[in-house]
Amino acid sequence: MATEAPPAPAAFPAPAPAVKALSCPSCGGTIELRAAGYTVTVACLYCGSLLDVANPDVRLITEYHEAAAELEIPLGTRGTLDGVEWEAIGYLRRSEGGSYPWEEYLLFNPYHAYRWLISNGRGWSFGEQLTRTPDWAHGLSLDGQRYEAFFADGVAQVDYVLGEFYWRVKAGEEVKTDDYVRPGWMLSREANEQEVSWSLSRWLEPKEIKAAFGVEPPRRSWPPLPHQPSPYRPALKRRAMLALAAVGFLILLALLFGGGSTLLRAELPIALDGVQRTATLGPVTVGRAYQMVAIEAEVPRLDNAWVDLDYSLVDRATQASWNAYDAAERYSGRDSDGAWSEGSRSATVKLAAVPAGTYDLVVDYQGNRWGGGSSGAEPESVRLEVRTGTVFFSNFLLAAILILLPLIFVIFRHMSFESARKGESDFAPVAEDDEED
Amino acid sequence: MLSISCPNCGAEVQFRSPALPSRVCDYCRTILVRSGDGIEAVGKAAALPFDVSPIAIGTTGSFDPRRFEVIGRVRWGWEDGSWNEWLVLFDDGSDGWLAEAMGQFMLLRERPIGDITDPVFRLLIDGRTVLVGTELRIDGDPFTVADARPATCIASEGELPFTAPPGWSIYSVDFRSPTGRVASLQREATLSSFYDGRYVTLAELQVRGLRPIEGWRVPAFGG
Repeated sequence: MATEAPPAPAAFPAPAPAVKALSCPSCGGTIELRAAGYTVTVACLYCGSLLDVANPDVRLITEYHEAAAELEIPLGTRGTLDGVEWEAIGYLRRSEGGSYPWEEYLLFNPYHAYRWLISNGRGWSFGEQLTRTPDWAHGLSLDGQRYEAFFADGVAQVDYVLGEFYWRVKAGEEVKTDDYVRPGWMLSREANEQEVSWSLSRWLEPKEIKAAFGVEPPRRSWPPLPHQPSPYRPALKRRAMLALAAVGFLILLALLFGGGSTLLRAELPIALDGVQRTATLGPVTVGRAYQMVAIEAEVPRLDNAWVDLDYSLVDRATQASWNAYDAAERYSGRDSDGAWSEGSRSATVKLAAVPAGTYDLVVDYQGNRWGGGSSGAEPESVRLEVRTGTVFFSNFLLAAILILLPLIFVIFRHMSFESARKGESDFAPVAEDDEED
Repeated sequence: MLSISCPNCGAEVQFRSPALPSRVCDYCRTILVRSGDGIEAVGKAAALPFDVSPIAIGTTGSFDPRRFEVIGRVRWGWEDGSWNEWLVLFDDGSDGWLAEAMGQFMLLRERPIGDITDPVFRLLIDGRTVLVGTELRIDGDPFTVADARPATCIASEGELPFTAPPGWSIYSVDFRSPTGRVASLQREATLSSFYDGRYVTLAELQVRGLRPIEGWRVPAFGG
């Protein structure tokens, strides 16, 4: 029975060799086959000749006599990604009909099979062929993650090969490609007449590929790769939370310390006669050490006239006074453009830090008619209301803007990153922009 | 378990199950067939070409949820490459195949061919060929033909349910489903066998006793 005898390590007295040596029938160079048993085609590292190694006798497919290209990751180099050591065994240079070139390294580990390292000069990705097909149920999705279409109907060709491959690769070979992305990941479909294959690749941070294969960061990393996650996304989230908390705190402050109450209401008689009148109102009593006091005046039926308002809040105990000037003015008329009006029938003035105490409010006020306008109904009174504790709305706004500024900055950077990233897509909304222009 | 001496070289050879009547002598590579109480030498197996497969005779693992041990292998070749099919014996005495192609693994078990009623499949059994990409249904699930090609036995080793002499030719068709289910038809003249299974990873099979390969760390898939 299978379970009765646990495998004895002694069953393997010596490890199997990892490589099989071949000699190139074209240049005589020694080729070390690193995936013996899987490899079908080898492009000689010395002369570039394509060899068929599917059968025991090595057969020359296409003879070349050219120095092999120097690679950023020389074949045979090993590096660790996702905790597994990989050896670069094959190299493809591909393009879309000669444009948009990119490189693919075939990685191998006998216990973990194949992976791909893909670079277009602006960044690297680590890919794996899938043994299942994405779902079309709600858009394109794989393992419950949705992907958006990015490139469509591409035709990828092989321009140059070096090293070993598990299929019959040759320069000029073409496949149809479609790519789908979500932040950090790209799903790629490649199809020829015989088969459709899907692969999933993960965007590698420059430090990750450097640590694995000693590759220097790309000199040029703009525009971003289709699946490159916006580096501003984490900051965006963090700052949005922070700003939300700060604005929430601000509102809380305003509610706690800015809760206003009405201290006084009064109605003063007025006429538009240019005569100054005086009224003393009170008492106005405020209890907190310091507070803001707002005086709002409203003049009903004010039209083509103005009311000057001089306020003095006089402490009954010390005779110290807090003074403010305000005016309610409103004009209206009719011209070639139709009816117009400007100004307001009400005016509010704020005294910022009034100490606790009992005050009289002395109001000097004067109603004036504006000669240019037609006179209608005359105002009869000025309604005054004195309130305390209202936080300056403008201060609140300023604070909120200061809090939101870093967030707005990050949003702007994030949006320009995303627009540069999506600008590369076959689905970029370019056509719509053109129509608007 | 039947243990006897190889009629060719005298080395001890074992037959674990009457269902697996064929065996390649580990020492002289003679193909032996068990018939009743006797043993017959029916030919010579070819030497296995070198490969870096991580699997070897003696590798163990578990699958759904039975324990298994790898006890035999057939290496198949076709025009553009070759692949391994490892025979695994489960602890309930049943067997299956761990197929290894392009670094990916599939575990399949033989099923009665009458189970499959799809017309495309019936035509295949009747000796027709099929194009890659053809769609069909197996147990109601959609499948496509991923490969359809003549294949030839390169070499074999260990215990097997049939004799696999070098040069033995079959017509092999592989089916794939979008969910990772796989199936395979192997046809020799008018005799067809059908296998059904799915893609697996060595990690999920928790394999132990992997073959050591120079310069590579053997992963601890089996804990």
